[in-house]
Amino acid sequence: MKHNSNISQELLETVERYHNHTMPQDERKTFEQRLENDAEFNTLVNDIQSFLYGIEQQALKEKLEEFHEEIPIRMDTEQKASKVRQFQFMKIAAAAVIVIAVGCFWFLNGSSNERLYDNYFKPDPGLPTTMSSTDNYVFFDAMVNYKQGDYKKAISKWEVLQNKAPQNDTINYFIGVAYLADKNVDKAIPYLNKTISTSNSVFIDDAYYYLGLAYLKNDHIEQAKAAFKKSKYENSREILKALK
Amino acid sequence: MSQAQPIDSQSTLVNAIKSNDSIALKSLYTSNYHKIEHLVLKNSGTKEHAKDIYQEAFISVWNNIKNDSFVPQTETALQGYLYQIAKNKWMDVLRSKRFKQTIAVSKLNHFEPADTAHEKNNDDIFKENRLEGIMNVFKTMGSPCKELLTTFYFEKKSLRDIAEELQIEENTARNKKYRCMEKLRELVITSQK
Repeated sequence: MKHNSNISQELLETVERYHNHTMPQDERKTFEQRLENDAEFNTLVNDIQSFLYGIEQQALKEKLEEFHEEIPIRMDTEQKASKVRQFQFMKIAAAAVIVIAVGCFWFLNGSSNERLYDNYFKPDPGLPTTMSSTDNYVFFDAMVNYKQGDYKKAISKWEVLQNKAPQNDTINYFIGVAYLADKNVDKAIPYLNKTISTSNSVFIDDAYYYLGLAYLKNDHIEQAKAAFKKSKYENSREILKALK
Repeated sequence: MSQAQPIDSQSTLVNAIKSNDSIALKSLYTSNYHKIEHLVLKNSGTKEHAKDIYQEAFISVWNNIKNDSFVPQTETALQGYLYQIAKNKWMDVLRSKRFKQTIAVSKLNHFEPADTAHEKNNDDIFKENRLEGIMNVFKTMGSPCKELLTTFYFEKKSLRDIAEELQIEENTARNKKYRCMEKLRELVITSQK
């Protein structure tokens, strides 16, 4: 082959057109005819095409090196296994998302008041029960039940006393907080209301506080706010802030 | 990952590859590599082997698309074709004498025996050597010419655009390109002496 045979600019551009399929049809026809009949011409064109291919291919090769740098790195070369694991992970992730979503829905929707109530509600510690021979034996006997968490028993004993002294703020107060501790909010409210009707009661701040909590639990926000406002406790102010 | 693409996107991909669209080439390249790497690593190869084989296969696919000897028929045909070619190439490597000398035969059972032996005639071998010679010379060619030829022949930029970028006349760019081509031919000739 005559490598040093001259290739004119014109021939180069003709081969480019042929190579790129941009040759008009009649030109292509003549060109292909000459390729068939002129062996030397054929060799020359082939060689020019080799150059065109060579340049393109080498350029591509160098591009591939660039691309290779940008392949996302995988820690795990066990592709299939990692795919399965990925799938498992996706399943778990999806499940987790659902659980979290449902949880959030329940948590947020499940009444923020309820949450506030749970945060703040602690049963009244009750009164100290000393071993003494007071006439209030039944009252303190019930107080023992109350402190032991047996609210129902305490309530039943106190209610007997309450029947005798319906306006006694102490009894009304403790029946109220006992019902509240027993999660019977509706019954707690009237007793607590009776307690606060005794304006000089020592339990007044506590009664307003627990009344506020009771209303909160029942989602009676305005009444809860009114009750908390009358209670001088720090907790009441915190809850009021949270309710805003 | 290589997701199933509708056939029309395959033909879009083919056209993009034919015009050496950098984005299409890159996405085809990067999204199919790991499958080959997995295959090669599972079959006595290293990551280096995987890369070499994959790039060889990629260039073959590119060539076959360019000269229309491969036309995708199904949705993921191109990706599958790339995998198949890489796999065949790796099988050839495994069967080669040099490789067998160092790797226990028992490890190769995974592959079935050769179904088609590739027989090359002298013409093909001559052409291949010629192409390789040109590529090697072009690889080491000086920057201005190499760049110009790459932009014109690989990136398929028009002479007008190239001229604009270089802030020269279009005709000057055309002459430059011709002279660079002549230079490359010269370099190839001297490299063979």
